[in-house]
Amino acid sequence: MNLISGTDITADALSAQKTRLDIVAQNIANAQTTRTPSGGPYQRQIVSFETELLKQTGGSSLETVRVSGITPDPTPGQQVYNPQHPDAGPDGMVTMPNVNLAYEMVDLITASRAYEANLSFAKDARTLAQKTLEIGK
Amino acid sequence: MGAIMIESIFPSDGDYQLARKLLDAAALRQNAIAANIANAETPGYHRVDVSSSFAAQLKATVENGGGLKTADSLQPSISEDTQARAVRPDGNNVEIEHELLAMNRNAVEYEYLTDVVSYNIKQLKMAIAGTVSS
Repeated sequence: MNLISGTDITADALSAQKTRLDIVAQNIANAQTTRTPSGGPYQRQIVSFETELLKQTGGSSLETVRVSGITPDPTPGQQVYNPQHPDAGPDGMVTMPNVNLAYEMVDLITASRAYEANLSFAKDARTLAQKTLEIGK
Repeated sequence: MGAIMIESIFPSDGDYQLARKLLDAAALRQNAIAANIANAETPGYHRVDVSSSFAAQLKATVENGGGLKTADSLQPSISEDTQARAVRPDGNNVEIEHELLAMNRNAVEYEYLTDVVSYNIKQLKMAIAGTVSS
């Protein structure tokens, strides 16, 4: 029996949005990183979501959400002329990461709003569960 | 056996049985809204809701005077919302504002229905005890 209905789904959604926030943080932190273990500048990472079928005993099926993958953005980074830079090529050009701060900020706001929406659902579900326990009182 | 004996003292029809059925639907709708909010940004996801056939069947049963108590087969189920508009190019038709409003509306409905059920149980208690319970 699941007294507080929908919490499994909300928990999955919260963790998915949290992963997205983590990746945004990683992208912003590495916005100027020109050297990575794999060589070359840092590549912006993108989080994508997919649905996952949640088994229900009641016969009706519901879909929860999960992170389907964290993939690098293939867009080439900006070339900046800076011959003093240790990672500059022979022509004095440095390839910067393809992180666009404007995109990251938009992603950050979207992810936190989605997180809040799911959280408000969790609060609501709790109120309803309390009401259920008050039946007959 | 005990359950059947207890069950037979409850009103077999009227608002108590109706509230029970609607409470089932409200609980299920809460689940559907959870799934919709969770998948608000999943490409290709279509919003789900309690299927409209449940309301139609419930209405028909009540209008025909059929006892709701015996209508165990009348259970709400979840299906894709065919009324929803396709709002985004990625095939997702969840509108987060719409879901939050539906959630609040459902909460009020749920609270009202629990009150109706409580009221009926209290009345029954009063009839059994012969005194007004605090």
